[in-house]
Amino acid sequence: MKLHMRKILDKSFSGLGFLSISLMAASLLVILTPIFVKGFGAFVFQGTVEFRRLQLEKFERGNRADIEREVAAALRARQPVYDMIAVFEERLQSQGFLERNQHSEPLGELKDALRELLGPFPDEPVPIMPRDQYGQTRWDRAQEKIAHVLYRVEYDHSDPARMGTEVLIPREEDFRDTSLEPLFRYVEENAEKMLLPRLTVYPRFLTDKPIDSHFFGGIWPEVLGTLCLTLGAMLCALPMGVISAIYLVEYAGESQLTSFLRTCVSTLAGVPSIVFGLFGLAFFINTLHITHGKSLLVGCLTLALLILPTIIRVSEEAIQSVSPAYKEAALSLGASRWRTVVTVILPASLPGILTGSVISMGRAAGETAPIIFTAAVSVGKALDFAKLQFWQTCLEATPALPWNIYNLATEHEAVDEIRHVQFGMVFTLIVLVLVLNAAAILMRARIAKKLKG
Amino acid sequence: MKKISTAERSVTIARLGASLLVAGLAVACLWGVPGQAVAQGAATIVIDGSTTVGPIAKAFAEYYMSLHSGVNITVSESGSGNGAKSLINGTCTIADMSRFMKKKEFAAAVEKGVTPVAHVVAMDGIAMIVHPSNPVKELTVDQARDIYTGRIANWRDVGGPNRKIVVISRDTNSGTYETFDKLVMKKERMGNATEYLGSNGAIRQRVQSTQAAIGYVGLGFIDRTVKALLVDGVLPTRNTVASGQYPIARPLFMFTNGYPKLGSHVHAFVTLHLGPKGQEIIDAIGFVPVTSY
Amino acid sequence: MSPRALRSELLLSGRASRSNRLVALAGQGTLLLITSCSAIVVLFLFYFIFKDALPFFQLRGIAEFLGSTRWYPSGHPPEFGSLAIFFGTGLVTLGAVLFAVPLGVSAAVCLSDILPFTLRQAVKPMIEMLAAIPSVAYGFFALVVFAPFLQDSGGALLSVVIWVIGIPASVLAMVVTNGWIVSRLGMEARPIMRLLIMMPFGVTAIWVLYHLSASLAELEISSGTNALNVSIILGIMALPTVVSVSEDALQAVGRQLREGSYALGATRAETILKVVIPAADRGILAAIILGIMRVIGETMVVWMASGNAAQIPEPWFNFLQPIRTLTATIAGDMGEADHVTGSARYHVLFAMAFSLLVISFTCNLASEWFVRRAGHKSSGRCP
Repeated sequence: MKLHMRKILDKSFSGLGFLSISLMAASLLVILTPIFVKGFGAFVFQGTVEFRRLQLEKFERGNRADIEREVAAALRARQPVYDMIAVFEERLQSQGFLERNQHSEPLGELKDALRELLGPFPDEPVPIMPRDQYGQTRWDRAQEKIAHVLYRVEYDHSDPARMGTEVLIPREEDFRDTSLEPLFRYVEENAEKMLLPRLTVYPRFLTDKPIDSHFFGGIWPEVLGTLCLTLGAMLCALPMGVISAIYLVEYAGESQLTSFLRTCVSTLAGVPSIVFGLFGLAFFINTLHITHGKSLLVGCLTLALLILPTIIRVSEEAIQSVSPAYKEAALSLGASRWRTVVTVILPASLPGILTGSVISMGRAAGETAPIIFTAAVSVGKALDFAKLQFWQTCLEATPALPWNIYNLATEHEAVDEIRHVQFGMVFTLIVLVLVLNAAAILMRARIAKKLKG
Repeated sequence: MKKISTAERSVTIARLGASLLVAGLAVACLWGVPGQAVAQGAATIVIDGSTTVGPIAKAFAEYYMSLHSGVNITVSESGSGNGAKSLINGTCTIADMSRFMKKKEFAAAVEKGVTPVAHVVAMDGIAMIVHPSNPVKELTVDQARDIYTGRIANWRDVGGPNRKIVVISRDTNSGTYETFDKLVMKKERMGNATEYLGSNGAIRQRVQSTQAAIGYVGLGFIDRTVKALLVDGVLPTRNTVASGQYPIARPLFMFTNGYPKLGSHVHAFVTLHLGPKGQEIIDAIGFVPVTSY
Repeated sequence: MSPRALRSELLLSGRASRSNRLVALAGQGTLLLITSCSAIVVLFLFYFIFKDALPFFQLRGIAEFLGSTRWYPSGHPPEFGSLAIFFGTGLVTLGAVLFAVPLGVSAAVCLSDILPFTLRQAVKPMIEMLAAIPSVAYGFFALVVFAPFLQDSGGALLSVVIWVIGIPASVLAMVVTNGWIVSRLGMEARPIMRLLIMMPFGVTAIWVLYHLSASLAELEISSGTNALNVSIILGIMALPTVVSVSEDALQAVGRQLREGSYALGATRAETILKVVIPAADRGILAAIILGIMRVIGETMVVWMASGNAAQIPEPWFNFLQPIRTLTATIAGDMGEADHVTGSARYHVLFAMAFSLLVISFTCNLASEWFVRRAGHKSSGRCP
């Protein structure tokens, strides 16, 4: 009997293990799925005719004749709406004060809703903000706006003891028995003809400049900023890290000094990233005055400090894993220690070092806290190495993916309107990091295979 | 035999890696070379400061950069205080501020040889917003203060349903907070349970998703997903702000070091709001242009 | 080549060897210099953070910093009581540990002792992916996806969690007590007795679970950006650290120990619980400490999704209240903290950063100590 119990306990214990692993997998899935699905939506979506018009006018992209034909077709479909409103307005003018008063506010709301959906009315002057110049470029957003044209939200406050309940009131009610009544049916039935949604692949989201603080366009300044920060951090940290590792493994014996150095490295690894940010501000900017304010260079340096311990650690491991036979053979051939390190040990451990470095590049790409005070701005042109001298460019501040994700998700004036851009950014960042990691994993697998021989 | 071949292979990999690195470096260096000739006409305007003025600065920046392709304008939104600091340190050209400079900041600036010059770019009202399902329509400034100090903790006490109030404030680093603190709180402390959010957009989002919440945002951030309350019987609109009827209103500033040189890009930028285009932009983002009151 | 020439090629003159040695020494010195850069950075970190933190303690004193919960950095006069902020950091850390440690350690056990090799290879990349996702992406998820969900249907989520944890737990408890009671009884009454005992037990368990979940389901969560949200997300972020470090510790326990235990007739569960985990306890402790460090130092998630209310929740373990943490305060308040005027407000943030630095330094030393002890222990026990 007791044995039976023990078996059950054993089984349930294994079950617990599996449960925890699957929970972990589930959490990964729960986090990545919405980001991947919605983020992918920034690249592939149902684009409307407004999107194609925008691409033509702002980026000179697409076949002009085709798009103009499409725009004309859409306009034809929209014309009855505009006509109905014009007729209604004219009639309103001739009516009494009471009717005018009754209808002017709903009419204003309706026209605003239509402007949001279709862009400015044809006879209106071109608005100054690009966000007002175009209607909805994405069909999924357009559908929300169509609902807003057809219905307005009211709250029923009849029960003062509770929060009001949402009531959808068709706007048709506001214009019952007027010449505008058929408009709503028309919009509902002809929405597709007015906007001509079509499956659109927009890979240039990655390489386009943003327009009107990310209402339209792509995320190139952020992507480039992140790439430069990451590469720069790598260029600073890699030589230092590898040399430190060489010294720690090959030259330093087991002395007090080395154990102190090792403790320092592991301390550095444990320092919270926000503290690195503060340090970068206090040291590089306020003390050394490398630049007066935020700049790419300071960001790179700060990030380099952040990934330095990781690089030292992986390089140490890689160097230690080189078979001592190599080293002994080289030394017995009369090579000096340095020569041995440079010509034998380093090449043999380079794949391992590169693997670790690529992983820490992923870390540098995704870190936000260190660059808040040192490098990242919310709006700025993409770094342009061709325009200024290399060093001057390094001294400019730049947008970067992680910071702008934060910025757009919390500080933007129209957070909800540009959700797809935010998801697209997160998606891009995660893919960038995962690709770096996947490369590292592949590299490691190859090395493992090789070592097995 | 095998060992040697693996060693060779690792050497090739190593060479590959090394050459990649070198190539990368070389490309990075070469990138810089052709730039030498072009640098003329290029200018960088660095803008830092308030998240409230941020939308104006961003819109102005994009508009200005579309007119002058040689100009690069960077905008950081890190709070009014940070804007002042950056201007004093000479790390930014224009400081956006949603409050006026403090005496201390002025003193520090003058000591560092910086003369801050204020440009009022727009007017803004701070609207108290609630979820549209909330039956409460109106608050007095005193009631608002009591809500934020925690003395009134339930909507019942201001004529609403029996729900605990979720009090949401801007982070203490913002000019909006300071203005609200000055005009509404009148030196009283906010209660402990107050949630602090980093920006106007975040507050609006919190309020639109939380039935029992109350928050305050700049006029430009009101949309149909939230309901602006009447304060002392006045609805925050462009007209009431411009006419001074609405009690929680303030000017928005851009500060420069001295009056910018006439004809310079900075000058053109900080006077953009005086022209019709600038006013149209300000109006489009939801603020009150300085010429309409 | 003549033998003489060859000899001169091979043998170094005295001077040459001396100069060679000098060069080597100089080279080694350079290497040491570069290596000590990281040490210098650590010292500089402490120095610069402390240098800017010190004025705060001089201006305001440590009593206010650690003793008061009144955080009004921009009030007139300002107050800088950071107790609630420290408490917030502690609370989310506790929550994340409660989430990550049981899950992480059991996952590590599963990885090292239960899963077959091929499955293990499949799980590892998953853990690496969890570790690789940038913190701002986690924060974005917490703010945009998780917080609204928690606010709308958090009660339902919690009641589902109660069922998921409750059913296996109560079934297990039932089987164990049942077995214990039945084994005390005589042979003949067994099947009937078992059913009789099972019935009230099961009914009680379901009743309790039902009521618990029902009360949870009605729970109204006023804000989705709260300590619970952040704790869960931080727990997920700490998982990879906890799993991989404790798995290493478990792997380090030798085969002999396990095989000895099996040979004595222990089941796998008994072997792991009574032999392997005790042998690896220090390594697991180190893993937990490293996980805690990851949680304490995390900025973006707490900044975006913790609600940033500088309060101690009522009651203190109320995870559904918004809280504020050290890292978020530093990131968020730096904007107003003008160091030009030398205000206490700037320096208080450095005081917080210094506290963080001290905490992480202590944690680091502790974990290193545990790892070293773990090395002694396992090597001592299984030579």
